[in-house]
Amino acid sequence: MKEELVQRLAELAPKVEGFIYPNEVEIHWSILIVVYPYVTGLVAGAFILASLVKVFKVKELQPTYRLSLLTALSFLLIATLPLLLHLGRPERCFEIFLTPNPTSAMAMFGFVYAWYLMAVLLLEIWFEYRPDMIRMSQTKPFPWNWLYRALSLFSSDVSERARAFDAKALKAITVIGIPSAFLLHGYVGFIFGSVKANPWWSSVLMPIVFLFSAIVSGIAMVMLLYMIITPLRGKPIEIACVDRVASYLFYAVIVDFSLEALDFIHRLYESEESIGILSTMVTSRLFVSLLVMQVLLGMVVPLGIMVVIKLSKMNDELRKLLYFTAAILIQMGIFSTRWNIVIGGQLFSKSFLGLTAYKMEIMGIEGLLTALVLLALPFVILVVLLKLLPAWPGDEAASSAPPPPPVSDAGPAPAIAPAV
Amino acid sequence: MSEIPSPPSRIPEQVRRLGVVAVLMAGGFIVVRTWAISPEYKDTSLQKSEAVEREKAKPVHYAGAAACTECHEDQCGEQQLGKHRNLSCGTCHGALQKHVDDPLNEANRPYAPRERDFCPQCHAYDPARPTGFPQINPAIHNPLKPCISCHKPHAPEPPETPQECSACHAEIARTKMVSPHALLECTTCHTTLEEHKTTPRGAKPSRPTTREFCGTCHNKGTAEKSAPKVDLATHEVKYLCWQCHYPHSP
Repeated sequence: MKEELVQRLAELAPKVEGFIYPNEVEIHWSILIVVYPYVTGLVAGAFILASLVKVFKVKELQPTYRLSLLTALSFLLIATLPLLLHLGRPERCFEIFLTPNPTSAMAMFGFVYAWYLMAVLLLEIWFEYRPDMIRMSQTKPFPWNWLYRALSLFSSDVSERARAFDAKALKAITVIGIPSAFLLHGYVGFIFGSVKANPWWSSVLMPIVFLFSAIVSGIAMVMLLYMIITPLRGKPIEIACVDRVASYLFYAVIVDFSLEALDFIHRLYESEESIGILSTMVTSRLFVSLLVMQVLLGMVVPLGIMVVIKLSKMNDELRKLLYFTAAILIQMGIFSTRWNIVIGGQLFSKSFLGLTAYKMEIMGIEGLLTALVLLALPFVILVVLLKLLPAWPGDEAASSAPPPPPVSDAGPAPAIAPAV
Repeated sequence: MSEIPSPPSRIPEQVRRLGVVAVLMAGGFIVVRTWAISPEYKDTSLQKSEAVEREKAKPVHYAGAAACTECHEDQCGEQQLGKHRNLSCGTCHGALQKHVDDPLNEANRPYAPRERDFCPQCHAYDPARPTGFPQINPAIHNPLKPCISCHKPHAPEPPETPQECSACHAEIARTKMVSPHALLECTTCHTTLEEHKTTPRGAKPSRPTTREFCGTCHNKGTAEKSAPKVDLATHEVKYLCWQCHYPHSP
């Protein structure tokens, strides 16, 4: 073990510049901790997009509503995995809930997460899909009918009154959900922002910047997914919907960009003693990931693309292509934002006199492969969720061979569905 | 209203079903928290007392200084009055519990450091050590001689009050020895009170503060023939001499 450590440090030593304390040579918060805020950000952003439909009644976004909810759920289900893998004893995580520690922000995150998962997202999805699940529990063959029956909690009431209650509940949950989504991602920024000893992190703007970059990444992700899945379903992409999503994305990017610029300008104007090393870091170690990938490719270029689309009249196909490009660039930009915050905060010495380097593992538990698997997992979950809970009602009807029989509103569903 | 499943209820079906799930979860939490988690995970005072028990069960390695007093009264008394009074016996002699348990067994004989590299662990020069803490440069401080040949570890005092400046300022003495100032006494330039020998930082020696002091030998027209001359009136008038010339090796 000791030899391994010595070898790791020996590899890093030539990359260290200036003076650095011995415990700062090796970076401990690895790429997994980069993945974590990126994934939670996608959850919060996707949920905010969904809330636009229910609370702000933006009709054009209806085709993305269910997709947003399922995207948020599939990313939320793996959101804690990077942390648990990084900590090394994932099986102990239940202790956070059973022996709560109210003075620890990190311990309280378990409850924020549980609240968001159980009281917001799952409830909203349940209310949204309840009539569909009841219907499918009556039309699908065994054992799927039982699965849907269990998922609908053996509910059977699809009367007008029940549906009206669903709609009311959905609206209430979404209204509660918006501050909850802010809390979920604001918390991540809060954790970084409250590290007093680290000038790269310690900023009250941190939760706000995190939040808006989360909204940006979530909206862009749902747009991307919508533009990929719809052609795969053999359906045309609704350009009005994409235009509207892109419009929200445009404003969110502007706010995010302004906030980040404000943060930078404020740091420069304040010019605390850390400014020297931070400037050196930004112009050397973080040049590509911050100035090129985050600012230029992740913000300026997508903003330019969207301005061009808004100003010029171009045909739908070209517009779609440009939106797609912008959304991909934004994803890369937001991932770079997370990278620059997490890794950047550990690259400079707290003596403000030197810089270290991050040497990423490939195969290890904290390595690139784990991160890629964690980033791929939500998409696998999303495919399963879309199979189970179709996001577009027409799909489900097309895929089930016999036409669904009329749903009985009078009483509980029969124990076994009619034979197919 | 006739569509409501029987028996008719004012509470919507959804709420009832979700309520069952919520009650089951809350009940599960209460059951697990009350019965499944052992009390020491929830009660901090229990945690502390259990930790004490756990620690007490571990084997004792260090006997503590009090145990030594019973047999080694002389050394302990001497140590209690000396500069090492804040150190425990085990600091130098290692873990002593086995020796306390079975003092006559030769295998348990405590370690007594005689090597020259032992004392410099604390007394080698290190700028991070507090001012006034006795520090030496092991490479030039009486090389090859074990520390205990001059210093008593239980009451460490310099064997005798240093008479020569070189006893403490050996490096300066050696530099000066081969310089043009070799024949000058330290007291030519420094006035040193007698207390400096016992409390070096309490009574610091003086050092020349004027250009004229060096000028007594080095100014143009002075009687000292062997000393190089400058014209003090024109030679770098803004500076004191030692700002450019190191007096111990000018």
